Amino acid sequence: MAAVGPSVFLLMVNGQVESAQFPEHDDLYCKYCFVYGHDWAPTAGLEEGISQITSKSHDVRHSLVWNFPIDVTFKSTNPFGWPQIVLSVYGPDVFGNDVVRGYGAVHVPFSPGRHKRTIPMFVPESTSTLQKFTSWFMGRRPEYTDPKVVAQGEGREVTRVRSQGFVTLLFNVVTKDMRKLGYDTGPADMLRVEGQGLTHGLPQ
Amino acid sequence: MAEVHVIGQIVGATGFSESSLFCKWGVHTGAAWKLLSGVREGQTQVDTPQIGDMAYWSHPIDLHFATKGLQGWPRLHLQVWSQDSFGRCQLAGYGFCHVPSSPGTHKLDCPTWRPLGSWREQLARAFVGGGPQLLHGDAIYSGADRYRLHTAAGGTVHLDLGLLLRHFDRYGVEC
Repeated sequence: MAAVGPSVFLLMVNGQVESAQFPEHDDLYCKYCFVYGHDWAPTAGLEEGISQITSKSHDVRHSLVWNFPIDVTFKSTNPFGWPQIVLSVYGPDVFGNDVVRGYGAVHVPFSPGRHKRTIPMFVPESTSTLQKFTSWFMGRRPEYTDPKVVAQGEGREVTRVRSQGFVTLLFNVVTKDMRKLGYDTGPADMLRVEGQGLTHGLPQ
Repeated sequence: MAEVHVIGQIVGATGFSESSLFCKWGVHTGAAWKLLSGVREGQTQVDTPQIGDMAYWSHPIDLHFATKGLQGWPRLHLQVWSQDSFGRCQLAGYGFCHVPSSPGTHKLDCPTWRPLGSWREQLARAFVGGGPQLLHGDAIYSGADRYRLHTAAGGTVHLDLGLLLRHFDRYGVEC
């Protein structure tokens, strides 16, 4: 009997943008979006979102908590162009303007299971001191016209950035039919805690 | 043909004495390997860290290889450079590491080294900058002719690479 195998596999990702650490900034909100290759298409869930504005806790942790849900499913024929989540964090400056405080990106993990990722956030920097002063004064900091640039490797060699914070994300990954198509994703990655341990409610 | 996907990031670097760093990277494979999609080389952004001393690049790597044999398993070679406020670039270290051979996510720490010159060149490097560099990049990932070099240690480059293998079990390969 000629069995026709699947040609498409599914990737289901859910989780949250848990919290952030930005020692020098407060009152921040974040936006996330997914960047993926030509062979990928989202089939369910939301590809983008904007979180609430959060302030630092007054205890010793100084953590900024969003607890912002992520839930999306992709289908694809090829692991090339594996989805990346791109985060942009914004906050007010001294004059009250909304300026960018960091961009970061990470690939969605591909082994099924629960994963924690702490990613660094960086901000583009002006080259000259005069430009730095003018942008601080006018409230117009250098930012990317399209945050999806952060997920690409090409064209980054001329940019100067400053890394100034971290964001912690939690992912649960489920895949369908990857093994039937012949892919081996390795052992399921049990929760690896990276960075500082922030107390949070683990999903039951 | 068996296929290999390398999906991950060059996260950043620690342990270098200079602070504004960037990395030029490339992948070298044997003759049996063919790159189906992805860029084989690139250069990261220049990062000046504000917190701590780790320079973060978060440079994505997404490569899709097809292979007929195990020889010539892909090697990632790296050159870390520092850029000063005048825009001049100085070599901070060379390093290479093999792409992992078992499927799953791996955290890699790649040590780096830089060529030392004569004591005159070392003194000049301390005051004016510059310093000897390799003429041919293949000494970074190959062992031939290394015996001619005298080098000093640089910092460490950190990578998060994930490996996805396809059809390796059809050919009886265990990894």
